[in-house]
Amino acid sequence: MDDVVIKASGVSKKFSRDIKSLMKYGVYDIGKTTLGMDIDCSILRPKEFWAVDEVSFELHRGETLGIIGKNGSGKSTLLKMLNGIFMPDKGTIEVKGRVGALIEVGAGFHPLLTGRENIYVNGTILGMSKKEIDAKFDDIVKFADIGDFLDSPVKSYSSGMYVRLGFAVAVHTEPDILLVDEILAVGDREFQLKCYQKIQQIKKRGVSVILVSHNEYTVREQTSKCLYLSKGKMRYFGPTEEAINYYIKDSLEEKIIQVEDIKNQHLSKAPKAEILSIQFLDKNLKEISYIESGQEINIVLECLINKVLKNPIFGVNFYDGAGFMYCSNSDYECVNFDEILPGNIKVKINIPQFHLPQNKYSCSTIIAEENVTNLVDWKDKAYTFVVGRAKNARGSIKLPTKWDVGIYEKGE
Amino acid sequence: MNLRVNQNENSKIYKPNRNSTLGFSIWNEMFAELVQSRELIIRLFIRDISARYKQSVLGIIWTFIMPIFAVGVFVYLNYSGVLNVGETKIPYPAYALLGITIWQLFATGITSSTGSLVGAGNLIGKINFAKESLVISSLAQTVFDFLIRTALIAVVFLIYGITPSWTTIFLPIAIVPLILLTLGFGFILSVLNAVFRDVSQIISFVITFFLFITPVLYPVPTTEPMMTLTKFNPVATLVIGARDLVIEGGLTQTYEFMYSAIFSLILFLLSWRMFHIMEPKIAERI
Repeated sequence: MDDVVIKASGVSKKFSRDIKSLMKYGVYDIGKTTLGMDIDCSILRPKEFWAVDEVSFELHRGETLGIIGKNGSGKSTLLKMLNGIFMPDKGTIEVKGRVGALIEVGAGFHPLLTGRENIYVNGTILGMSKKEIDAKFDDIVKFADIGDFLDSPVKSYSSGMYVRLGFAVAVHTEPDILLVDEILAVGDREFQLKCYQKIQQIKKRGVSVILVSHNEYTVREQTSKCLYLSKGKMRYFGPTEEAINYYIKDSLEEKIIQVEDIKNQHLSKAPKAEILSIQFLDKNLKEISYIESGQEINIVLECLINKVLKNPIFGVNFYDGAGFMYCSNSDYECVNFDEILPGNIKVKINIPQFHLPQNKYSCSTIIAEENVTNLVDWKDKAYTFVVGRAKNARGSIKLPTKWDVGIYEKGE
Repeated sequence: MNLRVNQNENSKIYKPNRNSTLGFSIWNEMFAELVQSRELIIRLFIRDISARYKQSVLGIIWTFIMPIFAVGVFVYLNYSGVLNVGETKIPYPAYALLGITIWQLFATGITSSTGSLVGAGNLIGKINFAKESLVISSLAQTVFDFLIRTALIAVVFLIYGITPSWTTIFLPIAIVPLILLTLGFGFILSVLNAVFRDVSQIISFVITFFLFITPVLYPVPTTEPMMTLTKFNPVATLVIGARDLVIEGGLTQTYEFMYSAIFSLILFLLSWRMFHIMEPKIAERI
C-alpha cells in the first residue's frame, strides 16, 4: 500500500437495538475477555443488527472521499471505526498516518473554562503536545475569529463561535487524514465557506479527506469519489456523480411506496372529477422519474370526469423539502377549456425547459372549477420527482443564454 | 476481542482480535500508552481542578468542609456519650481527622473514578484518545485534595500541641498502595459502570458500609470478630498503616500492611490490563 492511506476490507459493525441486551452482552463480553477467552464478534446475537455491513474501500493520498446515505445508514459508525473510536466486529482497517477527526466539534469543551483554556484541553485530547499548541495558538485564534471572547467561558459563546473554535482546533492538529462528519452545517454560510477553503488548502499539502454528508451539493463540490451506504451496506463506490444518482433514485423509490395511500384520497366521496395518475415524459415521450435540469418535460394527467365540468382549471405544483417551488396552472396561463364532458381524459402540459434546480420534489395536482379555490380534486404531494443537475452547470441551474461580444464606441 | 495494534507511531490496524495473540506484548503497549498520555492526564487534571470551583463562592474551602463536618458529627456523638469510641493515642478530633483524610483518599477516589468514563461519555463517543487518562486524572484530583487537607491536619495538630512522629516522612510512600488499590477498583468499576449504571449507586452505599467496618473514626478493634475482619480488609490495613506512621512512629500491623500492599499491586496490574483490553469496546457501551 504505497500511497493508500486507508484500506478497509470487509468492515462490519453490529449494534444492539435493545438496551437490556446491550447490558447483558456487555457483562458477558467483559467476563469472557477478563478470563482471556475469545469472543466471536462475527455472528449476530438476538436483537443485534449490522449497522455497517461488509464495507471495503481504499483511500489514496490527497484524495477526497464522500460518504453519503440517509440517516441511520451507518455513515457515522463507519467514520468512528476509521477513527478507532469503535472497533470493527468483522474485517480490518489499515490506517497510515495521523488521523484528525471532526465528528463533533467542541466535544471536549468544558463550558466553564475560557476559550484559551479549552484550546489547550481540546488540543491535548486531539493528540497535540503543549509545544504544538503553543506554536499554533495564534493561528487557531485567528481562524476561529472569536475576538474578545478568547478569555470568556465558552458557555457564553454563540453556537457559531463554539463551532468555529472547535473546527479551528481540530484542523490545526496537522492530520494526514481528516475525517469530517456532517458538522459544518452548524456554522453560518460564510464560515462554512471558510472551512471548505481550509479543507481545500490542506488537501493541497497531500492530506486525504473523508467527508460524511447527506447534502448532495457539498459532496459534489468537495469530492470526486463517493461511497454510498444504504442500511449499512455499500451500495456504490465510485465517481461522486454516479453515487449521487444512485442515492437520489433509491430515495425516490422509497418515497413512491409511501405515497401509494395518499393517491386514493379524494376531497369528497363522489367527486365530479378525479385525477387518476400523473406521468412525467421526456421529449421523446418516454416515461421518466428523473430529469436533468433544463430539459424538456411533458406532464400528463389522467383524469376521470364523472359530471360535466364548467371552466375547469388544471394545475401542477412542485415542492422541495422546504416549500413551494413552482406552479403550472391553466388559469394563470390563460388556457380556457370551457366545458368538459364526462369520460376519461388526458391533460398534457409541455414545459420546453424545466429549470428547477437539482433536487427531489413532491408534486401536487389539482382540478378546480371556475376558480382555483373551488377544488374538485386535489392530490397533495402524492408524487415524487427528481431533477438532476444540468450538464456543465456550475450552480444549481443552468439558464439558456445568448452571448454577444462586440466593440462599441463611447456615446453610442 | 478487539485491540489496536500499533505498527509504528502513525500506522494502525483496527480489527476484531484474538485475545490469545496478546501475550506479554500487551504490557509494553500499556506502558507506552501511559507514557504517551501523560500530557493529557495533566491537562485533564488541570481542567477539572480549575473548572470545579469556577462557579462557587467558597471555592477551595469546600475541600475542608467535608472532613470537618464528618469529624464534627463523631466528635459530638463521642463527647455526648451516645457513642463510645474508646481511648485513642492522640486527642480524638485529631485522630478522627487524620483517619478520615486518609480514608477519603480511597472513598472519593473510588467514587470519582467509577463515574469518570460515564461522565465523559460524550467525549468518548466523539474523539479517540487513551481512556486511562480519564480514570487516572480523576484520581489525581483526589490526591490533590488529600494534599490540601494535610494542611488542615497540621493546623489541628498545632492546636492540640501534638508532634507527629519522625516516620511521617514515609507517609507519601505508605499511601502509594492505597492509591494503587483505589485505581485497581477504579479501572474495573468505571468499565462496569459504563455497562450498567447501577454500579455507581451500589458503590455509594458500599463505601458508607466500609467506613463503619474500617477503624477510621475509632481505634483498631481488639475484640473478635472485628479484629479478624479488620485484618482481612485491605483498605483498613492500608489506612491503619498510613496513620500509624504519623502517630505511632512505626507500623503496628507490618505483615497485614505488606500483604495488602502486594494485593493492591496485583489488583492494580490485573484491572489495568482488563481496562486496556476492554478500552476499544467502551465507546459503544456508553
